[in-house]
Amino acid sequence: MIVRQLVRQSRQLRALPRQSRILSRFSSTETTGQTPVQTIVAEQAPQLETPAPAVAVPEPGTSGAQENLDPNTLRRIKFHSLGSDVTGVYRPESLLKNPPKATDVTLEMLLANQTHLGHSTSRWNPQNSRYIFGIREGTHIISLDITAAYLRRAAKIVEEVAYRGGLVLFAGTRKGQKRAVVRAAELAQGYHIFERWIPGSLTNGQQILGHCEKKIVNGLDDTIEDLWKEELESFRALKPDLVVCLNPVENVVLLHECGLNNVPTIGIIDTDADPTRVTYPIPANDDSLRSVTLIAGVLGRAGEAGQQRRLAQARKGEWTYKPMQPLRQQVEETTLETAEGQTPEASQDVVSEEVPSEGSPLDKPKEGASRDEE
Amino acid sequence: MGKYNLTALRVRQTAVAQKAAGKLPQTPKWLDIMHDVPPTEVLVRNRPQQHQLVRQRLKTVPGASRPQAVFEVQEKRIKPKKASRMFQPVEIKYEEDQLRKEFFRDHPWELARPRVLVEKSGKDFERYNWSRLQQRGKHLDGESVVQRQLWLLNNVPDMTKSAAYDIARREFYRLRLQEDIERRVAAEEAEATGAVFGPTRLEIGMDLENKEYERWKEWAKLQAQLSDQRMAAFLGAPEVQAAEEPETSLDDDSPEKVAAAA
Repeated sequence: MIVRQLVRQSRQLRALPRQSRILSRFSSTETTGQTPVQTIVAEQAPQLETPAPAVAVPEPGTSGAQENLDPNTLRRIKFHSLGSDVTGVYRPESLLKNPPKATDVTLEMLLANQTHLGHSTSRWNPQNSRYIFGIREGTHIISLDITAAYLRRAAKIVEEVAYRGGLVLFAGTRKGQKRAVVRAAELAQGYHIFERWIPGSLTNGQQILGHCEKKIVNGLDDTIEDLWKEELESFRALKPDLVVCLNPVENVVLLHECGLNNVPTIGIIDTDADPTRVTYPIPANDDSLRSVTLIAGVLGRAGEAGQQRRLAQARKGEWTYKPMQPLRQQVEETTLETAEGQTPEASQDVVSEEVPSEGSPLDKPKEGASRDEE
Repeated sequence: MGKYNLTALRVRQTAVAQKAAGKLPQTPKWLDIMHDVPPTEVLVRNRPQQHQLVRQRLKTVPGASRPQAVFEVQEKRIKPKKASRMFQPVEIKYEEDQLRKEFFRDHPWELARPRVLVEKSGKDFERYNWSRLQQRGKHLDGESVVQRQLWLLNNVPDMTKSAAYDIARREFYRLRLQEDIERRVAAEEAEATGAVFGPTRLEIGMDLENKEYERWKEWAKLQAQLSDQRMAAFLGAPEVQAAEEPETSLDDDSPEKVAAAA
C-alpha cells in the first residue's frame, strides 16, 4: 500500500523546478537558506488575547478617596486585587457583551468563530456554490473573505436604516439564539423575535398585532404621551423596514411574508439554505451559536452606530426622516405643524412623530422589555 | 416566476414601481440606501477556486552558494471527469494531511489524549515558531510533531520526509519522557514535604465493589436460610433428611457407577 502511494504521488508530482503561483499561505514560513535544524529562535512574548479583564480591578492604593468607602467595598477591592491575573483565556460572554464593529471584523476572527463551517457536501444547495471555498473532510468550507464582505455590506444596510429612523426586526428562532437576538436588538434599538414567527404577522398584521401598544416619539426618541390618543388606538399595525433573520431555513414563512410586503431582508445563508430568499445574504455557519452571536453582534453594533448618528443629527435640529402626517386635522395643530416645518428646534415635543417604539405591534407583548431606554 | 423566486432581490424595483403607480403614500426609508448599496448578484456560477498542493523545499544547487527554495506543484487534471463537475467545489489539500495521517497511524493513542479545541482569536499561528517543537501556550501533542516536521521539510536543505519525521519524533519522545519525569518528581517532592495522596480512583472503585460483595453475601445467606426453611416444610426436619440421604444417594448412584465402570 505504501509503495502504491509513493508511485501515485510520484506520478502526480511532476518535479519540475519551475516557479509556480505562490500562495499566500506560505508567506508565514521563512524560506531562508541558513536555518539549521537546531536553531532556537528567541520566542516572542505571547500577546494577550483578551487584554481587558472582565472586571476592572481597582488598585489598592492609598488614595484619599478610598477612605470614604464603606468597609465592605474596601474588603472587596482588597480581595480582588489578590491572586494572579488571568489573561489570554476564552470568555464566551465577551462576544455577547462587547461585539465587534463591522470594521474590526477580521478573517481570523471569523475563522475562530466557526463561520466557515458549512454542511455536509451531500446537503448543499448548488446556488451557494459561489460562496464555497472548498471541501474539507466531506464538509463544505465557506469562503471567509466573502463572508466578511457580505457581512460589512449587511452592516452598512442596518446602519443606514437605523440612521433613517427605520424599524429593524431581528429574528432568530432557533434554540439558544435568544440572547444573541435580544442583545443585537438592544444595541440597534430594534425589535426581536426569538420564539415562533406567527404566520400572518405581516400579511394579516391588523388582526394579529392590531391590539398591541403603540406610541409616538419625537425626534430625540422621547415618548409623547398625550398626543392623538384615540387615533393611535386605531392606527394600522406597523411593519418593519428591515428584517434580519438569523435562521432563514426555519423561517421561510417570515421571509415569504417580507417578500409579499416588500420588506428587505438580511439572512445568514448556510450551504444548505436558499440564497434567493433574502435580499442581502451573509454566507456563514448558522448552526454554531458562536458564529450566530458574532454576526448578530456585528449587525447590532452597526445599528447602534446608525442610531447614534441619527440622534446626533436630531440634537442639531436636523431630522433624517420625514415626520409622519398628523393624525388629527385640527386648526391649532395644523398651525403648529406648519410653524415647526420651518423651525424644528422651536419646541421638541411635537416636532417629529415616529410612531414605532417600545410597544410596537411587531413585538410580542411578552417580549416588550426588549428595548432598553437609556 | 418559475423555478426561482426573486422577489426578495427585487424589493427596490417593486417599491419604485409601486410608488410610480401611486400605491405607496411615501417612499420607504431604505429606497436610497438600496440604491447606494445594492444586493449582490446571486445564482451566478463561477468556476470555483482550484486548490493545488504546493510543496516547498530547500535544495542545494551545485553552482549556487546558497540553497534555493523550490516549489513543487501537484498537478491537477485541467478538465474534470465530467463536465457537470466543473462548477463543483474542490477538495482542499495541504501537505500536512499526509504527515498527520502517518503520525496518527503510528501513534493511535495520541488521539486519546484530551485536547483544547476552542480558538480565542484565531491568531495562534502567529505566536508559534516551529523551529522548535515546544510552543508556549500549546500542549505538546501530535499536531506539534506534524508542524515541526513540515517546518523541517520547508526550511532545511535537502530534507527528506522520513528524516524530518525521525527528527521531530525523537524530539517528541524526549519531551514526553521529560514530562513523565517531571510529574514523578513533583509527586515525590510533594510527598517529601508532607502531602498525602488519597486513595486513587482504582482503589475507591475496588472498595465500592468489595462493599457490594459483602452486602450481597449477607443477602444470599439470608435467602439460603429462607429457602432451606421453606424446603423443610415439605421434606421434614433436616436431620431426618440428612440421615436418609446416604441411602438414597447410594441407590441413585449405583446404576451410574455401574455404567462408568463398564
